Amino acid sequence: MSYLHFIDTLQSIADGVLFGATYSLLGIGFTLVFGVMHKINLSYAAASIGAAYASLIVLSVVKAPAIFIFLLAGLSGGIIGFVIYVVCFRFIPQANPLATLMSTVGALLLIDEIIVHATVGIPVPYPALFSDVIIDAGPFTLRGDLMFMFALGCLSMLLLLALLYRTKIGIATRAVAQQPVAAQLCGISIPRINGLTFVITGVVGGIAGAMIGAAIGVLSPLLSLPLTTKGLIVTVIGGLGSIPGAIIAGLLVGGFENLFQYFRGVTERDLYVMLLLFVFLVFRPGGIFSPAAGRD
Amino acid sequence: MIKKSLTLFATLGAIAGFVVTSPAVAQERSVKIAGFGAKSGVVRVFGINSEAALKAALEQINNAGGVTLGDGAKGKIALEYYDDRCNAEEGISVVRRIASTEAIIAVGPTCSNVAESLFGILQKKVGDSSDSGLQFPIIADVAAKGGLAKISEWAFRNVPSEFEMYKSLFAWVKTQYPDLKTIYGGVEKDFAHSNATFGVIKAQAEASGLQLLGQGEWLLNDTTFSTQVREMKRANPDVVAISAHPFTTCGVLKEMQRQGVKPKLLIGLTSSSSIETLQGCGVQAEGIVIPTSFAPVTPEAVKAAELVAKFGGSADLHSAAAYEIGFILKNVIESQKVMGKPDTVAADREKMRAGLAALKETDGLLGKVGRTADREAIKPFLFVHAKDSAWKVLHKPGS
Repeated sequence: MSYLHFIDTLQSIADGVLFGATYSLLGIGFTLVFGVMHKINLSYAAASIGAAYASLIVLSVVKAPAIFIFLLAGLSGGIIGFVIYVVCFRFIPQANPLATLMSTVGALLLIDEIIVHATVGIPVPYPALFSDVIIDAGPFTLRGDLMFMFALGCLSMLLLLALLYRTKIGIATRAVAQQPVAAQLCGISIPRINGLTFVITGVVGGIAGAMIGAAIGVLSPLLSLPLTTKGLIVTVIGGLGSIPGAIIAGLLVGGFENLFQYFRGVTERDLYVMLLLFVFLVFRPGGIFSPAAGRD
Repeated sequence: MIKKSLTLFATLGAIAGFVVTSPAVAQERSVKIAGFGAKSGVVRVFGINSEAALKAALEQINNAGGVTLGDGAKGKIALEYYDDRCNAEEGISVVRRIASTEAIIAVGPTCSNVAESLFGILQKKVGDSSDSGLQFPIIADVAAKGGLAKISEWAFRNVPSEFEMYKSLFAWVKTQYPDLKTIYGGVEKDFAHSNATFGVIKAQAEASGLQLLGQGEWLLNDTTFSTQVREMKRANPDVVAISAHPFTTCGVLKEMQRQGVKPKLLIGLTSSSSIETLQGCGVQAEGIVIPTSFAPVTPEAVKAAELVAKFGGSADLHSAAAYEIGFILKNVIESQKVMGKPDTVAADREKMRAGLAALKETDGLLGKVGRTADREAIKPFLFVHAKDSAWKVLHKPGS
């Protein structure tokens, strides 16, 4: 391997890992809902992109600095998350997992079509914060906006972990995830915790959607499906229900994705990411950090 | 006496009624046509623009008295527009549905993959009794992949020839920028139009003497382009040609700006000469040169752009084709003496096909449009470039 190839390899990994922070946040959203309700919310990535769109609308009405777009996207994501909970989970029999799964597929398509109809499918410019900042680190260049996204992603993850492990709400959420019947006997309202979980994951998803929009500089309804796929891959590789697993897997998938692209080209890239998924399913079906049965 | 008067009055009334209502019925006769394209999904904008352009053209025709039918009566052209979601199966299903109505022709589709599959279900050769394919004329307005009309004699296109456009563009580049020697390509690999057009760009660039240094590839919904642009930067080409639609074109242009890639000339895909590119990355697209078959540079084109906007669409190289098709159909309906009656639908469809096949030239918004023997259009075109976040005419070949 020549020096140039070595540098390019490292650069590809660095770019991929930095962008992978967004995959981690999406993976956390998928995994948290699964951990608490043992259900997959397939509309999650679409809702994240929907929240990013909503933040643009809010920002156009409320004149605030562009940096607030992450906060607005988080708030929008929380609201959308709660609506999805009410529509797709609250009143649908929990004993029928297929019904909730299909309702979230419906929500995914609905959100996508709402975006497409509202924007006529035309990509919408999104505030590209720190996009002009380029950090030259020796032979590498690091994008300022991706560094910011990575830092914001890490901060969001830490806040989420603090919420789950240092607050009463977090204890209640983990109790519902581990032993729902016991939690109910202790006076914890399961529907309330479930709803709250969707709000929390919605906030995380909204921030992830805004990060993706800011990193690309444009929002498009084209983003929903590939991000749903990436979120699911991250969730499975990380281990269903494991937050640390989702974080590590997001960065791993981001890095490998770029690496595969560098070595094998874009047409084979997704094939190798899928192969990575198969390797995990065969050799470590529970994911990187598979939680012990009944415990997180 | 009274009874006789009443009978006479009733008879006169009936005659008067017949006399009055007959022309009324004739006036209300309508020739039904159908339009179809992507009105949902991520390429919805194409369907919206095409429908608006068709409606704008038909409003012009109908307000000017409509069309003269085969029996001398006047008729209006009525349009029903369908959504094919840019999906081949949906497109086939939509056209089968249209064929079961009284529509005498369909205008569409948006996507080349739909057109390719759809034209395959039409009867290949007219009059071939052994071919049970659908006998229904279709004229494409947007589907841009070259040579699709060859598939069936019932298929027509009013789509510009990208082969001619890029051939002319690179010939012009050779005369205007003789110092440019190398080119690097970028292609959206998983979209039929951009991928096929890249083949045309590559061939024409090399034919004009440019040396291809390499090509970067990405997918329609990709979000990061750092690897591709890094290789592009290392190749240090004089010209960069991007064959991609606005979303990824903007992504690549932004990454090129970040990495400081500044080629002497930037060339884009026909479909990117749209408002989407300027909205998404007007600053980064500054200077990009794109050949297009529509720009509001003639009085007819300016008027068409205004009318299409009135119907909620935007006139561009794709929808302008739909606008022109409206007037082409009017001429064919009149020259072929289409009847526009429920019992003449099959005959009217054959007349429309024969009429379109016989055309040697039609009127276009930028000038005369030639017709080839394999039912394609030879449309006039020009080169535009992005300047101050607007598309400005850079050069008109032949002028």
